[in-house]
Amino acid sequence: MSTFRQDLKGRFASLGIIVLMVLGVLLLRLWSMQVLSGAEYVAMAENNRVREISTEAPRGRILDREGRELVSNRATLAVCVEPAAKNDEDLLYRLSTILTMPVEEIRARVSSTKEAALRPRVVMIDASPEIVAYLSEHESEFPGVAIETRAVRQYPFGNLGAHVLGYTGEISESQIDEPEFETYALGDIVGKSGAERQLESALQGDKGYRRIEVDATGAPKGIIEEVEPIAGSDVVLTIDADVQRVAEDSLVRALQDAHDSGFPSAAAAAAVAIDVQTGEVLAMASYPTYDPTLFLGGISQDNWEALTNDKSEYPLNNRVIQALYPPASTFKAFTGLAGLHYGVTNEWSQYYCAGTWTEMGKQWPKKCWLHSGHKTISFHQGVVESCDVVFYEIGYDFYKQGDEKLQTFAREWGFGSKLGIDLPGELAGRVPDAAWKTDFNENYPEYQKWLPGDTVNMAIGQGDMLVSPLQMASAYAGIANDGKVMTPHVLQKVLDSKGEAVLTAEPEVAFAASSTDAELDVMRRSLVDVTEEGTAKSVFRGFDSSVAGKTGTGQVAGKDDYAWFTAFAPADNPRYAVAVVIEQGGHGGSVAGPAAREILSALLDLPIVHVQATDVSR
Amino acid sequence: MVEHTFASTRKIRSEHSWFGRWVNVPLLAIVALLIAYGSVMVQSATSGMSAGDALFMRHLIGIAIGVVPMVIAWAVDYQSFKGWLGPLVVLDALLIVSPRIPGLGYEAGGATSWLAIGGVRLFQPSEPAKLVTIIVMAIVIAQYKGRIQSRQDVAKVMAFLALPLALILLQPDLGTGLVFVAITMGMLLIGGIKPRWFLVFALVGVLAVGAVLQFDLLAEYQRSRLLVFVDPSLDPSGAGYNLAQSKIAIGSGEFSGKGLGSGTQSNLNFLPERHTDFIFSVLGEELGFMGAVALFGLYLALLAIALEIAAQSRDLFGSLIVAGLISMWTFQILINVGMTIGLMPITGIPLPYMSFGSSFMVTNLTGTGMLLSVWARRQGV
Repeated sequence: MSTFRQDLKGRFASLGIIVLMVLGVLLLRLWSMQVLSGAEYVAMAENNRVREISTEAPRGRILDREGRELVSNRATLAVCVEPAAKNDEDLLYRLSTILTMPVEEIRARVSSTKEAALRPRVVMIDASPEIVAYLSEHESEFPGVAIETRAVRQYPFGNLGAHVLGYTGEISESQIDEPEFETYALGDIVGKSGAERQLESALQGDKGYRRIEVDATGAPKGIIEEVEPIAGSDVVLTIDADVQRVAEDSLVRALQDAHDSGFPSAAAAAAVAIDVQTGEVLAMASYPTYDPTLFLGGISQDNWEALTNDKSEYPLNNRVIQALYPPASTFKAFTGLAGLHYGVTNEWSQYYCAGTWTEMGKQWPKKCWLHSGHKTISFHQGVVESCDVVFYEIGYDFYKQGDEKLQTFAREWGFGSKLGIDLPGELAGRVPDAAWKTDFNENYPEYQKWLPGDTVNMAIGQGDMLVSPLQMASAYAGIANDGKVMTPHVLQKVLDSKGEAVLTAEPEVAFAASSTDAELDVMRRSLVDVTEEGTAKSVFRGFDSSVAGKTGTGQVAGKDDYAWFTAFAPADNPRYAVAVVIEQGGHGGSVAGPAAREILSALLDLPIVHVQATDVSR
Repeated sequence: MVEHTFASTRKIRSEHSWFGRWVNVPLLAIVALLIAYGSVMVQSATSGMSAGDALFMRHLIGIAIGVVPMVIAWAVDYQSFKGWLGPLVVLDALLIVSPRIPGLGYEAGGATSWLAIGGVRLFQPSEPAKLVTIIVMAIVIAQYKGRIQSRQDVAKVMAFLALPLALILLQPDLGTGLVFVAITMGMLLIGGIKPRWFLVFALVGVLAVGAVLQFDLLAEYQRSRLLVFVDPSLDPSGAGYNLAQSKIAIGSGEFSGKGLGSGTQSNLNFLPERHTDFIFSVLGEELGFMGAVALFGLYLALLAIALEIAAQSRDLFGSLIVAGLISMWTFQILINVGMTIGLMPITGIPLPYMSFGSSFMVTNLTGTGMLLSVWARRQGV
């Protein structure tokens, strides 16, 4: 009988052990979840209940040197669509009808290859009251579509300075992977060109965010934490809106002059004005220009096509830094300075111009632009009259001396190098030499040899020499500034929220040429006489300041001549240098000169007179 | 003879006071603590709901109602059930099928498990059926006097399980069916079945589950719950959502919890069914591992006291009844808590004394009354 008692005791014990095991297993699992892995679950619970919504920081404004707003911000009602909606054909079709926008265009704006792209994308800005009302009333029929208030760029001066200012747009999917944009998210607005791009880090503020508590349905329950966005810094440019306006208008008038004087192909032009002592850019004009508002909320495919097709003259290009031209006679100042420096010539050296120059041999005749010839002419007068023969002689001397001294000298003024302006896309240009020619004609051995004609052509700014308008203006500023070429720049200062400067651009010497003061004086005297009695005398007739300048008429194969004018003023106490190019505009004196005069007038606060110049010299 | 053996091995305690005979103070204290603990959690879980106060009031009313059958069960001599095997089997079957009778059933959560009159829900008859099944099985198993020897005996016992089990599975209510099986297994252990039979039952169980899945015998909601249990990522916002949110709630409670009433998973509605099936998730989130340890301590005390009552029972019948109750509660704790932490599939099994639900509360309290009935008639009194 006691055996049965023992058995029963054993059975109760078994049941007890089962109970203990059940509770033990559950507790072990709870220990693992709550104590060992608790932090992970806490994170998941937080992720459940907390939604973080970023609030955009207003982008910094861009001001001109007088503090006038060139670019500011305004609020707009934007139609935003969540990326997930891009596969909803029906939705896109209905949206297309309401927005009167092609379906493909909406899809392109919403589409994103990035997984993380959850943020609604802007499909249209400045939605009309009708669209806003319709979409609000029919909210349930347009899932993932919302009307949001967004800040967009505003341009109080319209297109003025569009190339310097640049345009903005949503960050691209390739950009976002770059280290510079580490903290950015898809959908963020960034500078795409010009100062907007260059000064992105100053203009872009720090996004704020709001952490809100939501329930299981996503309905907000309250704000946990709110961090206000920090607005981007305002930047002050060296640009003077008044001078910029004159510069842009002067190009339009110059092109009209070109058309009126028998050059109907003239369609593009550039002008730049800089402070000779600091390198500050006061005006930078490029024609044709574009409307930066086209890019707000994303540029349409049609507009983009219009701005970039090969018949468009590429309005987005900033010709001041992104176009290269043969400098033509404007380069004679540097050939001349090189001749003075290396003792190849002096101010009163005598030359004889018969209209045709055959020093390199009768089979290689070269013409002066004045086919009748300047007869006996001094070096000084050679600059004033822009006599080609004088510079053929100097160039030929340099060829005979060897060592590519003319090229070396040209590089001392910044030719062939980027000057380091604080704008994206600057081109370096080209100072041709034997090594370049060999390289350039890699597949044409018969054209690889550097010939005397190459140096002679370079001496008058033709041949293979290429410069940007900025380089030419800076080099002339260098002549005015004792041979020091300053780094050109458009940023004057960055302001903090109180309007105090936190960063101020300091003048920097980019290139220091080896010309002596005496040599520079010789050249400056010649350049002053250009505007007083030489190739630009009718342009500057009646101008209330002395101007040192040089005309140029560049020959480009298959095109009409390119008109140049570069100058600095006042000649006795130089402050500003200007360079103007009119593509296929004809004669430098008659077409580019008047534009340069107008810009100098604006710079020096003189009355702006549009002169009808008649100079057809070079 | 077995009864005699019981009595002879125990110290005779004939000098009991009325209180000493009838009142098991530790048991009543533990049950009171459990019910209080559960009420606190139900209050916290329902506080954020639109009808939260009404729900909590219903919980308290359920407790009050439950005290009545508890006292009756306590007062009635459990041995008097012995002669009522036939009527009890019929009652069991009637209880289970009653929701299927046209006009009496009420469907909720995919199963017709409510008894209703005129569309007013009364109670879930499968709850008292658990207790009736315990008594039926105790009567049957006690006949073998602690030694279930032959295959025929096993078959006979299983036949008495088969009837209610078949009926409950037709509901379909898989969870309750499993409770019936667990109750029977625990009672068979005490009833003296050879351990190798449990291997046979396990085998049959595996085959049954296989057949159920193979022939698509499950209701759609059960099927999805089972599949999600195997792979929670199958349906993260549907059936898997409940499990995932429950685990997040419990895990994020960490050691000491977020504080009573401060559970974000609970208050922000991430937890489904939080006052009923997922009450433990609320406890785990708000009171943490400490809260769980406290609850398990109370359960361990309850089950230990019950085991002691089983051991002191005057006869095997009493021991079997108590073993059935122990099995029922242990299994429900395992299934309910296990489901909230991903160890068990999601079945609608509530947590004893804790979950909201009057039928369930009444059943637990009646079970407590049965424990007390066995206690009051223990050896030596």
